[in-house]
Amino acid sequence: MKNRQSSIVNHQYSLTIGWLYPDLMSTYGDRGNIIVIQKRCFLRSINTKVKRLSVGFSVQELKNCDFFFMGGAQDKQQKIVSNDLSKDKIKLLKEKIEAGTTGLYICGAYQFLGKYYKEADGNVIPGLGILDLHTEHPGEKSERLIGNIVVEVDLVGLTPTTYEVGDRKIEEKHIIVGFENHGGRTYLGKDVKPFGQVLKGFGNNGIDKTEGAIFKNTFGTYLHGPILPKNPQFADYLIEKALNIKYKRKIQLTFLDDFFEKKARKSVLQEIIS
Amino acid sequence: MNLFLILFGKIFVFLSSFLNLGSGSTWPGHIALSINKNFLKDTLTKRKFKIILVAGTNGKTTTGKLIKEILETNNNKVFHNEAGANLINGVASSIIKNSTFFGNLNFQYAIYEVDENTLPTLLKFFSSDFIICLNLFRDQLDRYGEVNIILDKWRKAFGKLKAKTTLVLNSDDPQIASLGKKSKAKVLYFGVDEMRKTELEHASDSTYCPNCGSKLLYKRVAFSHLGDWMCESCDNKRPIPNLEKLVSYPLPGLYNRYNTNAAVLVSKSLGINQYFITRVLKKFKPAFGRQEKIYINGKTLQIFLSKNPVSFNQSLMTVKGLKGKNILIALNNKIPDGRDVSWIWDVDFERFIDSFKNIFVSGDRTYDMAVRLKYSFKNSHQKLSVFENYKEALKFGLKKINRKEVLYVLPTYSAMLDLRKILTGKSIL
Repeated sequence: MKNRQSSIVNHQYSLTIGWLYPDLMSTYGDRGNIIVIQKRCFLRSINTKVKRLSVGFSVQELKNCDFFFMGGAQDKQQKIVSNDLSKDKIKLLKEKIEAGTTGLYICGAYQFLGKYYKEADGNVIPGLGILDLHTEHPGEKSERLIGNIVVEVDLVGLTPTTYEVGDRKIEEKHIIVGFENHGGRTYLGKDVKPFGQVLKGFGNNGIDKTEGAIFKNTFGTYLHGPILPKNPQFADYLIEKALNIKYKRKIQLTFLDDFFEKKARKSVLQEIIS
Repeated sequence: MNLFLILFGKIFVFLSSFLNLGSGSTWPGHIALSINKNFLKDTLTKRKFKIILVAGTNGKTTTGKLIKEILETNNNKVFHNEAGANLINGVASSIIKNSTFFGNLNFQYAIYEVDENTLPTLLKFFSSDFIICLNLFRDQLDRYGEVNIILDKWRKAFGKLKAKTTLVLNSDDPQIASLGKKSKAKVLYFGVDEMRKTELEHASDSTYCPNCGSKLLYKRVAFSHLGDWMCESCDNKRPIPNLEKLVSYPLPGLYNRYNTNAAVLVSKSLGINQYFITRVLKKFKPAFGRQEKIYINGKTLQIFLSKNPVSFNQSLMTVKGLKGKNILIALNNKIPDGRDVSWIWDVDFERFIDSFKNIFVSGDRTYDMAVRLKYSFKNSHQKLSVFENYKEALKFGLKKINRKEVLYVLPTYSAMLDLRKILTGKSIL
């Protein structure tokens, strides 16, 4: 009897999600990413615990997080976050990221992981300096980079499927769709890889065709939409990654019916093509 | 010159409505402004009537309509721009439409509902007697960027106001309430007394002190970031409203209490007799698409325009309060709706969805809404029916309800126009 119970416990996976500044860093429905991760785990009987790490949270809270999420923000909010992130917090976050903790950082959060952000008026705000990248706002008169975006990614382990849009065949594993809206232009250093190549839209800076950044298991991107509901394969990819690291072995997720998600992706792609 | 533009515009309006091309709510103004960019300044500076501007993310149309009806009941002549035509060209068009052939505007009041971004621009051309600021919520960020950007623009524009202007501000919206601080304008506040919550909703934008940036403390919350707020660091707090409670309200929904209180406060400060105000509140019929009821084949539909997270939450809460069981959600992403639909993830469907029996989804981005709702159910999404086509959705939805029930329709702006067109057989704009 005892043995049977322990084998059930063995199958019960769990993930602790650290949601950094949910009330401050949250524009454009970014919380959809958390909703999707939680539900896709729930449907596979994986327990999730979401820790809301708001202003004043204790450093210790970061310790047992298996996954970090941080959304985009208005500039004003970002300054408040900056004030709250003490040296201890930054140090531990950096250690966790360097040790390979999985994480998704959107827009303002992505910029924040870099070395600095130069504002439109030339004022330089230091970043967390965890990722080798920096962001510059080219001045108030310059246009914001706004619109639908399609990115081609090359992530090992994504299951490919193909489907047709108009007369084009698209390999799903390569395509991530979303919506971007940012004034800052991000430039990558040599220690990070881009998240993907821009097929349509602006991406990091509108020039070099790169979008986002990958460092170990940390993913930074400009993609709102939110990114995970429209790209459930990427959501599963992140869940698997976090589980693999936590349980130190390969864990394969069961299949879910993503009919609506596929249709929603298709409508974005069709909108872009037309 | 301007007389010519008015004449030309009037002919344009006549032709346009004669040929059934629409009512000319924006184009005549657009043409006039492209020929004379000071058209508004020229026609409004020496006016003999009072101007009331209504701004804010949600509630402009209902508030404007309430004030208009109260003033008209008081035997005042009022003109206004048409609902939705709330950019500069819409204001200019209303001047053309309502001028005599001699270019005179024989009215006592003009009520303009103005888009958030247009408000500062309008104030450059003419002074206003009243400026009502209802609220600021996240809405169509893809067009305007961030709530704070709009606030900065408003603050700058209000800093130049003269003492003859009255600012009518929402005391419960911390950012809005603080807009009068550096202005010479007279300030009046409206709020609500019904605040049942103690915790902020997810879709709250302005929960930090506009003065010092500290996190605000809320004793009670109405909805979103509207509530009884205070700052512990700098003494900044919710101003005491000049009006927060009326005996009765014409429309359900907490959001409509704000609209009504704002309208009544303005009417009172214009010296309108309470008798006329009460008379209007008793018989008030909502503006199109704002809780408007439509009867079709013996069945009832009620349309709740739901255009951003806060208005969507308020619609859902009001429908739940009315014990509604059947809802049809229509999501479009045309320009008036905002091209980006990510905001649907900021709506708290989780709080309401399980109380409904049937949920129908349609619109240009029906599958985005289907995905959103799929993730909001506690268990399976069996109650959800998805339609690519409005007509099918309406047909199916009406079939599912009996004659005593109501099909509650929650559409975005352009979806609301599309649905009304199907239901009433005629277009509005």
